[in-house]
Amino acid sequence: MSTDKNTKQVDLELRQFIKNLGYIAGGTALLITVPWLQSFTTDKLSEIKNEKARVAILGTGSRGQYHILNLLRIPHAEIVALCDNYPPNLKAASDLCPKAKTYTDYRKMLESKDIDGVIICTPLNWHAPMVLDSLAAGKHTFCEKSMALTMDECKAIYEAYLHTDRVLYFGMQRLFDEKYIKGLSMIHSGLIGDIVGIRCHWFRNNDWRRPVPSPELERKINWRLYWESSGGLTTELATHQLEVSNWAMKRIPESVVGMGDIVFWKDGREVYDSISLTYHYRNGVKTTYESLISNKFNGLGEQVLGHKGTMELEKGQYFFEDVAPAPGILQLINNVEKRVFSTVPIAGPSWVPETASKQKPHYVIEGMVHTTSGGSMVGAENDGSDNLISAFCQSVITGEKAKDIVEECYSSTMLCLLGNQAMKEQRKVDFPDEYKIPHLKF
Amino acid sequence: MEGPCRVLRAVLYLFSMNTAYSHYYDASSLFHGSLLNIMGTRLDAVFIETDKALCELVWQRVVAELSRLDKMFNRFDIESEIYSVNLRAATESVIASDELMSVLISCKRYHNLSLGLFDVTLSDFNAVHLDVEHQTISFSAKNVSIDFGACAKGYALEKVKQLLVEAEIKDALIDFGNSSVLALGHHPFGDCWKISIENPFRPGEIVDEIELRDEALSTSGNMPTHLKHIVNPGTHQFIEDEKIVSVVTQNSFDAEVLSTALMIANPEEQGKILAHFDHVLFREYIL
Repeated sequence: MSTDKNTKQVDLELRQFIKNLGYIAGGTALLITVPWLQSFTTDKLSEIKNEKARVAILGTGSRGQYHILNLLRIPHAEIVALCDNYPPNLKAASDLCPKAKTYTDYRKMLESKDIDGVIICTPLNWHAPMVLDSLAAGKHTFCEKSMALTMDECKAIYEAYLHTDRVLYFGMQRLFDEKYIKGLSMIHSGLIGDIVGIRCHWFRNNDWRRPVPSPELERKINWRLYWESSGGLTTELATHQLEVSNWAMKRIPESVVGMGDIVFWKDGREVYDSISLTYHYRNGVKTTYESLISNKFNGLGEQVLGHKGTMELEKGQYFFEDVAPAPGILQLINNVEKRVFSTVPIAGPSWVPETASKQKPHYVIEGMVHTTSGGSMVGAENDGSDNLISAFCQSVITGEKAKDIVEECYSSTMLCLLGNQAMKEQRKVDFPDEYKIPHLKF
Repeated sequence: MEGPCRVLRAVLYLFSMNTAYSHYYDASSLFHGSLLNIMGTRLDAVFIETDKALCELVWQRVVAELSRLDKMFNRFDIESEIYSVNLRAATESVIASDELMSVLISCKRYHNLSLGLFDVTLSDFNAVHLDVEHQTISFSAKNVSIDFGACAKGYALEKVKQLLVEAEIKDALIDFGNSSVLALGHHPFGDCWKISIENPFRPGEIVDEIELRDEALSTSGNMPTHLKHIVNPGTHQFIEDEKIVSVVTQNSFDAEVLSTALMIANPEEQGKILAHFDHVLFREYIL
């Protein structure tokens, strides 16, 4: 890895990303719709160019190592500590950043004065104690999604967030993914009309297991498969997509019904390998959520259905119900939106209907082909995670809190946990009043 | 039989319906309207205008006007006036509406100015008799039929222009099936609208760029999929050359007529026809 080139890259990517957003119709206006990005303008980034966030990685498994690789390319980040109680993972992380001090007890690590920020990538049941301890130790804190294993823990984290002066982030990387930001801004501009339904799905075909060197490590390594440490497919996968659903709707569903089963991977696991959930918004719009891990044909996706068209956010493409705008005209519109004067390639002999394809996709970002199959158990490239972690490091330096990230993670995690309750109890579950927070609109 | 007929009629109606789409881009003050299935092609309109409600109102008027003209000019529609004229004018004098009469009078004038190469009968316009006093149409030969295919879009664009001018929408681009473009004012970030002409035989290859400001551009030509659609009314031969011609004038109707006539005309005829019109930019591209 040529460090210099790569070092510049992530930083530039975040700058370029914000810059790109600026080019989108009325950049400033758009930034208002994505409040969590307002602190990351090019000007603000240049203010911190000589400073470094000293961060610790708590939990150095696959996701922790994924963040380490991104952090190594961020000029304003320095990994100073690593902590894991599973030696092989700690060693693997230490090999990536040998200068970082290693710990096996996170409480000991939190005592260190040399750490400004903590990045938590541990099993879900550890999120709440670690986030709360980290904030209490005065550390800026980043935690992977979902927020926590139980509703009470989520509420406790939210309360701590209200009272802390520290920065708190959660791993909701779609908030930092250009195709989602632009796609949702297009939806909110009315491009596909009124939202009448949302379909989300995530399909894989693998057993979701990690190899276990000896049997007593089963629950530690395969923590995703047991209720004591995991919410299963909802908290691991659906959380991202439910967040997008709420982002599109600008509100939170008031109830959920669903069914969950172990259909194929009958290997002693507890969490469902097949789930089907329906979330109901007050205005009658429903988000259906399907996930199973024994067929990958459909991959992952979020379809926002409008009365004038359909937006496939993960694919970054959209379709019109009836009339597809002429490509030359679409190019003209895109250029006007970018404030560019260019030639409109439309003239020629008559357009005749038989050359038209009714359901031809249009792309949210020109030339954008980056999509993911959703098959990776660690994280996809260019999915916003690198921008998100870079933004966290900037906040660690400036102490400036990012707006809405905690609230977004709180609501999507709550919906996952309510979905699990609906499936386990086989009934319709309403969003409980005692867990409603001011940010949420129902 | 009534049941199936009614179903068939309903299905035909659905297919003939114009599907209109529109969207206003607030940040750019840009209105975009699309109309599919109109005069055998599609129309896209872009208005640069801060008054969103005005854009929507004007677009509704444009859609209504185009639908009305589509119906008037469609010789296959049994309810259209031209269908009735084509059916009856060889055996009787058919009373025509003011508008149809005036369009046909214009067509007669264009026929003369184009040395007979622009011909809405595609064979013998001299057999069409327009009685201005009684406002009737009659054909002096059998098998005469009027087809406005070569000029209806140009006429319609003039009507659209009137609607935009009345509403004081100053900057607009109307693309009527690519072959007829009307540009009012200028692009929001330029001093005109720049349009490029693509080679239909080699997609992606641009043969020319044309700047328009309060002007109309009409393009005639052949496409790989449609080689036989322009006919010389004198020789009844199809024009099958791999070429396109484009005409820029201030009037869409003129541009439409001229692009067809100049596609058919030889170089000498082209010169003579152009001498009858002022302020015409004419270009011919051999592909």
